[in-house]
This record gives sequence, structure tokens and C-alpha cells, in this order.
Amino acid sequence: MKILIDNAEVECKEGDLLIEVMLKNALEIPHFCYQEDLGADGNCRMCMVEIKGQKRPQIACNTFVKENLEVSTISENIKEVKRSILELELLNHPVDCAICDQAGECKLQDYYMDFGLYDSHLSTPKTKKGKHIDLGSNVMLDQERCVLCTRCVRFTSNITKTNELGIIGRGDNSRVAVAPGHELNNPYAMNVVELCPVGALTSKDFRFKQRVWFLDSTKSICHGCSRGCNIYIDYNETKYSAEKVHRFRARRNNKINKSFLCDYGRLSYKELNENFNADVSHVKDLKELLKDEKKLALVSPSMSLQQLQAVKSFCKDNSVELFSLPYIDENFGDEWLKTNDMSANFNGVKELGINYDEDEFGVSLQEAHVVINFDHKYLKNRELKSKKVVHFTTSHVDSDYELIFVIADFAHDSGTIINCDGIRQDFYATKYESQNSRLVDILEELK
Amino acid sequence: MITKIVSKNFEIPDSHLIDVALANGRYSSLKSVFEKEPQELIDIIKQSGLRGKGGGGAATGNKWQIVSDWDGVKYVVVNADESEPGTFKDRRILSLDPHLLIEGIIATCYAVSSNISYIYVRGEYEEFSDVLQGAIDEAYEKNFLGVGAKYRVDITIHRGAGAYICGEKSALLESLEGNRGHPRLKPHSPEPEFYFNEPTLVNNVETIASVPFIIENGADAYRAYGTEKSPGTLLFGISGNVNKPGVYEAEFGISMLEFIEKVGGGVKKGKKLKAVIPGGASTPILPYEMLKDARLDYENLSALGSALGTGGMIVLGEDASMVKALKNLLRFYHHESCGQCTPCREGTSWSDKILDRFVAKKATTEDLEILKSVSNSMNGKTICVFAPAASGVIDGFLKHFEAEFLECIV
Amino acid sequence: MSFSFSQENSIKIASLLNRYPHKKALILPLLWFAQKQESYISEDAIGHISEFLDVPYMHIYSVVTFYTMFRLTKPQKRVIEVCATLSCELNGSEDIKAYLDENYSKDFEVIEVECMGACSGAPMCAIDGKYHENLTTKTIDEVLK
Ligand SMILES: Cc1cc2nc3c(=O)[nH]c(=O)nc-3n(C[C@H](O)[C@H](O)[C@H](O)COP(=O)(O)O)c2cc1C
Ligand code: SF4
Ligand code: SF4
Ligand code: SF4
Ligand code: FES
Ligand code: FES
Repeated sequence: MKILIDNAEVECKEGDLLIEVMLKNALEIPHFCYQEDLGADGNCRMCMVEIKGQKRPQIACNTFVKENLEVSTISENIKEVKRSILELELLNHPVDCAICDQAGECKLQDYYMDFGLYDSHLSTPKTKKGKHIDLGSNVMLDQERCVLCTRCVRFTSNITKTNELGIIGRGDNSRVAVAPGHELNNPYAMNVVELCPVGALTSKDFRFKQRVWFLDSTKSICHGCSRGCNIYIDYNETKYSAEKVHRFRARRNNKINKSFLCDYGRLSYKELNENFNADVSHVKDLKELLKDEKKLALVSPSMSLQQLQAVKSFCKDNSVELFSLPYIDENFGDEWLKTNDMSANFNGVKELGINYDEDEFGVSLQEAHVVINFDHKYLKNRELKSKKVVHFTTSHVDSDYELIFVIADFAHDSGTIINCDGIRQDFYATKYESQNSRLVDILEELK
Repeated sequence: MITKIVSKNFEIPDSHLIDVALANGRYSSLKSVFEKEPQELIDIIKQSGLRGKGGGGAATGNKWQIVSDWDGVKYVVVNADESEPGTFKDRRILSLDPHLLIEGIIATCYAVSSNISYIYVRGEYEEFSDVLQGAIDEAYEKNFLGVGAKYRVDITIHRGAGAYICGEKSALLESLEGNRGHPRLKPHSPEPEFYFNEPTLVNNVETIASVPFIIENGADAYRAYGTEKSPGTLLFGISGNVNKPGVYEAEFGISMLEFIEKVGGGVKKGKKLKAVIPGGASTPILPYEMLKDARLDYENLSALGSALGTGGMIVLGEDASMVKALKNLLRFYHHESCGQCTPCREGTSWSDKILDRFVAKKATTEDLEILKSVSNSMNGKTICVFAPAASGVIDGFLKHFEAEFLECIV
Repeated sequence: MSFSFSQENSIKIASLLNRYPHKKALILPLLWFAQKQESYISEDAIGHISEFLDVPYMHIYSVVTFYTMFRLTKPQKRVIEVCATLSCELNGSEDIKAYLDENYSKDFEVIEVECMGACSGAPMCAIDGKYHENLTTKTIDEVLK
């Protein structure tokens, strides 16, 4: 079925939500309260369109398409409607984008720029509300910037069902808040920052650190657990500082994480910025060690299929017994995204037929003279007396070792992983050259 | 000018007591109710042309039909939120003749096949809901209600707690479900209201109280009063600058000026009539000059650019300041907006604040422009008709009394 | 300081539970009982209702703040609510308010409220929930003295 939007034909199905049809077709439709995974609430009135045959403008987030629908988003009339609603939205909003943390990714700012609106009615006092309210879980609220779209409230009531946030008061005195003596406290809390279409909810972790327009983004996958939530890595490199990852943002994937991340995963970007010192070992020394008879390797179950494959071939070529063990934490998983298996690619380990029998690993470890650790966390701070230990690592190593090779982390080495549900996903490296070599390249050199 | 159908027993002392009520004909319609099939009752109501008396004037029979036809556990909710400024009629029924309401509820429940009814009474009406509760208790004792009744109906009073918007039917149901009173998005095709997802009828107190007369005397008896399109009577309210404010039942279609003069006793202190807000604060004000042929029915007042609303007239005499009056009403809208939609939340607050500048005689031409533009932004772009009503109020004042506003511009 | 409903209220609540299809519908009735019992709605009362009805604390708190008749703080004085809406204003509610402020604000908290549905008795006020209509300074004195 086809409908007409601004005189252009658009393909859709009877009963589809108009706003979804428009967003899918990359058509411009301002909206605050509608969000793909939270649905519509109908409160912001930003998504108004003109529908042929209807006297009044209608909201696209509550219009279901049907045969012969003709929609206009650009007629003078509807533009005026939207302009006037925006104007009201701005009345009580401190239009000080210059100092707002959200500048650059604020919908309000986008929209009013589009309409060429600037704060003109300063003559009447604005409604005073609370600023810099610490809600808990790293989340700060500025009620004066809030457009009361209720996305954050609906997130805590419908998605996490933790119900920390609510609207209090009435009329223009309505505010988002936590109840006195309570705080925002759930493992997914920081999603509200990303959901907020304006600068009302900000993350203490990211607040005022960076202007978003100075950031680059790359498509990646969170390596925090086996769910494989889709993310953007936001990073930059400036004249004064080396490349730095500033945050992970959810990248929408309907089948996996929708628009959400857990806070643990979201904050795990910090590991990518950890600086650590290690002497650089030489490949030729490793060749020397490989002459020993009893060699064992343990590979991290969070490595990409490409890395695992290279490790597997390396071990085969050099008669190294290869194991991998999953990172299990019985307290991490929940009913939603988080899984007890905190490895990013344990399904990849299985697919490649790598041995993950813990008992066999234990026996082999006792017998081994040379232990090669491919970035597996369990061996990084474990004393392995009377063994020669080699580390390929992306992070600081605490125990004694014979050789150490620092390798590129997942932000600098693209690859593929398989999540807990068997979904295969690619992730990509940032645009900057890594200081550390890719594991695959080092292993190639050893051939 | 006065016709007594619903208010017939208002002056009989102690009509809220069931013995007095019974002696004066209450519950007598139930005999004819139970003799009929529910659908017959719905048809009678349709034929009577009864229109909702909560302000909208929707055809009651059609609403009943939709609820009756919809599958599910049915609820009948009586709207006794009565918070529209200038409206104070339902309260008379609740306190002076509660058994009429109970009788009407039983008939209505039977007609739409419901056994459960709630009466949502505004929180401030505590005294009156106490009287009503007493009447309900007595009706249970006498087996008009509850398990022992011929047709089981349970009535529960649910008290609001100070929110005008809870009179809007979907906000009322939200409130009845234990939520904030936020009106719901309007449906795309005709459907009943829903209480916890079950089909629900919401009717005003007076609408339900009109049912016993119609059923007992037939649709034609009701149609004998009023006009073709606005049949029957209404409990008109009159307040403001008049000598005899009060609630008076009269036929639809009577002359407004005559009503004000004869029933309301004319403007206080012999002053001239300046304007009338015809049916509760939300109906646009009409200046005296337009009222010569004004009749109190839906069609006539909407033709004049206003509405009959709840029939609660607020009369303004020649001394009334229109700027102050508008300020008063905008403060009300500012205070009562539920706050969920942007145009209403911001618009009601902004227009109220702008009016302060007019009252202080410090307004600018730009303020007047902003007021008009804010009013325009509130019209037709919100979830419920609260904001459009506020817009209509502003437009009415500016249209008919702009000169007074211009005088406040520096 | 914990909250529980009085025995009398508990009995009423038990019978109300049968009246609604879902417990959640009892939020407003229970808030009323709590306010009647303590003259305001305390945090403990909200906590108690939240547990009793199995409804999130924040939901109840957010409901309380929507309705102007619910109080979250204990009133220090008796409250006089003076209607200030149009019909009352046209009949002198401002003077009434000023008179009350001047003469009774020591013992009473005088607040302005919107239309109470008593416009034919304008000007009017409510004290402890009871309406007093057609007020004059004289009738005020009679009622309050
Ligand atoms: C803002 C607003 C306030 C309302 N307040 C009331 C009210 O206090 N009492 C009432 O009966 N209807 C009120 N209504 C109308 C109701 O939504 C509903 O139409 C009415 O209760 C239906 O009953 P009726 O058809 O018998 O009139 C209000 C509507 C709006 C938009
Ligand atoms: S804080 Fe942000 S997400 Fe929450 S209601 Fe306000 S604008 Fe919407
Ligand atoms: S659930 Fe797992 S994959 Fe998703 S964000 Fe959290 S740690 Fe990362
Ligand atoms: S128009 Fe006003 S009262 Fe109605 S839903 Fe919107 S904000 Fe609430
Ligand atoms: S996006 Fe449609 S009303 Fe908010
Ligand atoms: S205006 Fe005061 S009671 Fe209605």
C-alpha cells in the first residue's frame, strides 16, 4: 500500500503508525515524546501533521495509516502550528545552549534552529524549577530544561519497572523527580540520559567534558557480557591529548538491546582508556620458548572470531594445547539484557571447537612448562610458579611473566563475535591507528 | 419560566431520607424499568433526545448503545466532579434528592447490563457526598441496591481530591483507577470509555437523574419540553452580579435575558447587564448587545459563537472589569491544567502571566499579540479540550471587549 | 514513626477492597483515610499504602502531588479556603480574603482556592470541609468567634 507524504509516494502497511513510516523513510518529523522503544505518549504535540480531510492537525505518533492517506508536513499552516508549539516550549526553557551539555544533540535546539526561533518573550517571568538535582546513578536533572516528554519516566515504569522517576505537581509546575528520600537506582539507570531528547538529564560521567560535535563515532559491540549490545564508541583525538574514548552510546538493534545498555556495559568504555606500562618483548624470544615440549595456551572468550581463529592456527602449528574458559559471574545476569556469561564471544569459542573443559585445563596447566595467555583475565594476576608465562594483553598484568605483548583492544581491531543467542555481529575499529599491534599481525609474524 | 422535573422534590424537606423519598415517588420508575428489556430502555432514551448535561450535550442514548454493544464487564460511572466555575447544580441533586440519582443509576445499569457503578464526587463536596452515602446505605437496607435487589447494582462513591480536569471523562477514569488525572488520547472511531480496559459509560449526575422521569412517562413526555434538538429541561445555574443567584430548572429554548431578569432577579443594584458567560467558565463570553434573541439551548448559543455548556450562567454587570474577569479565569486555567501537553501547560501559564501586565496597566502591544498567538497555539492542538476552551475564553474576551484591553497598554 | 490505619479505617478499607476490580483503584480512598487520620499525608503513610496496594512508592507520591486537596505537610493552623473564582470575585471575595487575613491569620491559614461549586452563595469559604456561603464580615465573625 502507498500513501502520500508531502506529495511523494511512500510504501507502508495498513495500520502502521504514521510516525514510524516517516522515520523509516528518513522523513523529517520533529518529536519528543515518541521513542521507538517506549512508544508514543502524545504529550509533546511536536509531530503534528496535516491530514487531508481532517479539520484539525493530527499527531503522527497516534495516526495509523490507511488507504488514500494524504499527509502534509510542509504546508504553511502546519509549519505555523509547529512553530507556535515550539515557541511555547521555549517560553520556560533557559535557551542557553552555549553552556548546555546537550548542545549538539538536543532536539529542541535542532528544531528551533530549523524554525529560526530565538527567545523573544523574555519580558514575563519564567517558571522557576530545580537545577543540578542529583538523581543517583550518575544522572543529573535540570528541571528547567525538561520538556516533560516523560520518556525517562516511562523507561523506569515500563522497561525496568523500577519506578524511581515520576511526574510531580501539575500544570506548568509539573516536574520530573524522584520521591524524597529515594533515588534513581537500577542497573540500567543511565539509559535515561540517552533517552532524554534535551539537556535535562545528563550524565555525571560525561557532563561538560566534551562538546559532542568534536566527537567521532564508530559502530561497535559492547564486550561486557555475552548479550552483545550494539553501541557507538564516541571518541576523539585532539592536538593536546592522545586518542580517548569518551563514552559508549546505545546503537539501536531491535533484536538485541533495542535502544538500551546496562550501566556496567556503558561504563566499560573506561577500560579502553587505561594506560599501562609494559616492556615490549620480542617475537624472536617467543619463538625460542615455543621449542619447549609442554605448552599450553588460554584464550579469552571475548576475542573476536578472527582472533580466535588465528590463535587456534598458531596453537596447531606450534603444538600448543589450547583452552578457553568463559567468564562466569552468577550475580551479573538478570531477566533482561545482562547475562551471567560475561564473555563477549563464548559462542565463538564453541563454534571453533576450542576446548573449554575446566578440569582438563587444570590438569594441563599443572603439567605445562610454557603458558601463553591470550588476554584471558584469570591468568593476568595469577602467580604461576616455575612456569614460563607469556602474555598477549590489552590491559595491565599483575603477575610475573617471561614475555609480554601488548595488543590492540576491540576499539582498534575490528572483528566478529557471536552473542548468547547465536547472533553474529561485526564491530569496527576507530579511525585512528592503534599504538599497539593487532594480535593477528603478531601471530602472522610468528609463522 | 420554571419547570420542575429533576428538581421536583428539591423543596420537600428531608427528601434525602428514603421514607420521605419513597412517599414522594422515588423508585417508582423501577417497575417500568424491570418490565422492559434493556434495549427497549435504550430506545426510549434515544427517542427522548436526552442530551448529556455535563457540558458536551452528547446524545445519551447513543452512548448507552455503544456501551451495551461492547463486550466485557460493564461499568457505569456518574460524573459528579462538578468543577466548572459557575456550575453548582449536581450538588443539589446529591444533597437534596440523592434517591433520584440512585434510581437513575439502577435504571441505567439495567439498560446497559452493568452491575457496578461509581459516583465520582469532587473532593470538596464532602458534606454532600456524606448525604449521598447516607442515601446509598438506606437504599441497600431497603434492597434497592446490592444482593437483595431485583437487579443487582452496587454503588460506590469515589471522592476526588481537588482537580478540575478530573471532570473530563477520561481523566476521571484515570483518577478512578488510582492515577493522576491525565486525560487520555481520543479514540479514532466510536467506542465507549474504558475503566481498567472494560467498557464504561460516563454520564453526568443530572443526565442520570433525568432518566427516571423519561422511563416512567415516556419519551414524548420529555420531548414536550424544550426544543426539537434540545429536548427537555436543564438545571440552569445563575451567579455573578445578579439578585437571585441559584439553580432553577427550566425548559431548553427559553430567552436568556428573560431568565436573567425574571428568574435571576436582574442585575444587582439595578445596574445594566454588560455580558454573560452562558454555560460555565469555559464557554466564550457574550456581550449584552448579542443577547437580545439569545435562547438557552445548544443550537442557539453555538450560533452566537458560544455554547450552552453546563447551563451555569455567570452574569457580569456594567461595573465589571473585563480585564480582571479574564485574569480571574486564566488564573483558573493556569491552576487547573493537568500539564501533560506542551501547548496547554505552557500556554495557560503564559497567558495568565501576561494578564498580570494588563491588570497592572503595564502591557505592551506586543503582549496583546503574544496573548493572541498563545491562544491560537492552545486551540485544537492538545489531548483534551481544556486548552481549546481556554483559548475560546481568551478569544471571546478579546473579540468583544478589546477596547478594555487596549486601555491597559502603556 | 511508622504508619498504620486505625482499626475503624481498616474495617472500612477491607470492605472497599471488594468494591473495585483492582487494588490500585484504592489509592485515592486510602490517601483520604490517611489524611483524615493524621491531618496530612506522611511519607510513612505513602510507604504503607504502597506496600498495602503493591503499587510503587513513586506512583503514589506522584498522585498525591497532582491533587490540591492532599497535603504533604502537617498544617500548623486550621485552614480557611476562600473561593477566588469569578462569581465569588464579582461578589467581593477579595474583600473577604483581606478581612480574614487581617483578623484571623494568627489562628488560621487563609488560602485562596478555585471555584468550589457554590457560586450562588458567593462569596464563600470552606472551613474543615464545611461550606459557609453568602459571607459578610459579620457572618465570618459569627462563624469564627
Ligand atoms: C475540562 C473538562 C471538564 C469537565 N468537567 C465535567 C464535570 O465536572 N462534570 C461533568 O459531568 N462533565 C464534565 N465534563 C464533560 C465530561 O467529559 C463528559 O463529557 C460528561 O461527564 C459526560 O456525561 P454527559 O454526556 O451525561 O454530559 C468535562 C469536560 C472537560 C473537557
Ligand atoms: S527529563 Fe528529559 S526525558 Fe525526562 S521528561 Fe524531561 S525532557 Fe523528557
Ligand atoms: S548487557 Fe552486556 S553487552 Fe549489553 S551493555 Fe550490558 S554488559 Fe554490555
Ligand atoms: S489540554 Fe491541558 S488539561 Fe487537557 S490533557 Fe492537555 S495539558 Fe491536560
Ligand atoms: S511525538 Fe507525537 S505528540 Fe510527541
Ligand atoms: S466561583 Fe466561588 S464557588 Fe464558584
